[in-house]
Amino acid sequence: MVEVTPLLVKAAWVTIDISVRAIVFGFLVASALVFFRSVKFTPVRWFSRAYVSVVRGTPYFVQLLLIFYGGPTIGLDLDPFTCGVVVGAFNIGAYMSEAIRGAIESVDKGQSEASRSLGLGRLATMVNVVLPQAAGLMIRSIGVLAIVLIKNSSLVSIISVVELTYQAQRLIGSTYKPLEIFAVSALMYIVIIYAVMGIVELAYRRTTRFNAL
Amino acid sequence: MTFDFSPVLTYLPTLIQGIGITLLIGVIVALFSVAGGLLVAVISIYTNKVISWPLRAFIWLFMTTPLLLQLYFLYFGLGELILIPAIVVGILGLGFHYMAYNADIFIATIRSVSDGQYEASRSLGFGHGATLFNIILPQALIRAVPQLGNNLILMVKDTSVLSAIGVAELVYASQYAISVSFRPFEFFIVIALIYYAINILMELGQAWLERQTAFRR
Repeated sequence: MVEVTPLLVKAAWVTIDISVRAIVFGFLVASALVFFRSVKFTPVRWFSRAYVSVVRGTPYFVQLLLIFYGGPTIGLDLDPFTCGVVVGAFNIGAYMSEAIRGAIESVDKGQSEASRSLGLGRLATMVNVVLPQAAGLMIRSIGVLAIVLIKNSSLVSIISVVELTYQAQRLIGSTYKPLEIFAVSALMYIVIIYAVMGIVELAYRRTTRFNAL
Repeated sequence: MTFDFSPVLTYLPTLIQGIGITLLIGVIVALFSVAGGLLVAVISIYTNKVISWPLRAFIWLFMTTPLLLQLYFLYFGLGELILIPAIVVGILGLGFHYMAYNADIFIATIRSVSDGQYEASRSLGFGHGATLFNIILPQALIRAVPQLGNNLILMVKDTSVLSAIGVAELVYASQYAISVSFRPFEFFIVIALIYYAINILMELGQAWLERQTAFRR
């Protein structure tokens, strides 16, 4: 047990690394998708809707295999780690765009109407009035999606990224101690997930501390 | 960049067989995980701590770790004890995973009904069992419909992960065809579209079921 723990800790860092990158890039993808939904040009709005529908309607695992094995056909030759980050980002981006939109729509319409009638522009209304009030809900839903992504990141082991599940599977095969290896790697996932939950809760409290109730 | 979908047509029977197994696994796991989830929820609410605590721990453990890790554990763990086909491990693994998620939902909906109505029903003279089966559970089941639908839709997408332990569902079934035709892009596009079609049908079914049950709440 003692000899395999350092290997699993190292692999857990890869899981964290790949997940954090995917979440950060995924937020950019999601922001773009939300912006596309508000563009006047109709095909752009349709693209955003269709993208979200298709990505949410197909398995993450198949998306990963499509880009990793099928990518070279369309000139997309990515190494496994990059592929994991890219597919993770474009996958969580679709879910996150819905979360962001939901949070923005949850802010009472009267808020933006009042702000506009006080002379603030559309951008200023969004940035200074709507987003601060939507931030709390947004952070919580993004937190839930981040936890799903961390668990899904185990699937990149299939394209041979040496992350936590890959290492656990390899060690189970070589040590024949499934219970011990499972216990240690499960514990690591649990620690990572609880850390994310803690960070989300702190961020939630910080962003909602001035909210009137 | 040229596309050639003809190998997909050549191997269409293989894909259809894969779809069949995917749907079969989906149906079995759906029944197993919903029935099991309800049982786990009822037992963990209405029994003492000695029984309910391990059940809660089971739910918590399955919800906080990845499906693939659980599948590897079952596959290698059970494989060490008895000779067991991959598809059985896959159905058990996926079944337990979603059983935990469904139990979590049932616990919430049973509590939401039970809070007000348990005492009312008992004070009208119904026994514990009659209250549970005639008053609480029917309402709890209907309240659980929307979230159960979401879980089942996620579950069918997750059947693709079973290919990692060698279950011959859609993704695994096409692997041979991909390796001889060298057309991974075309095959995975078609596979993705098949899942998308299944997904849309399930969403329609979920919407229908929600309409059917909405007035009973």
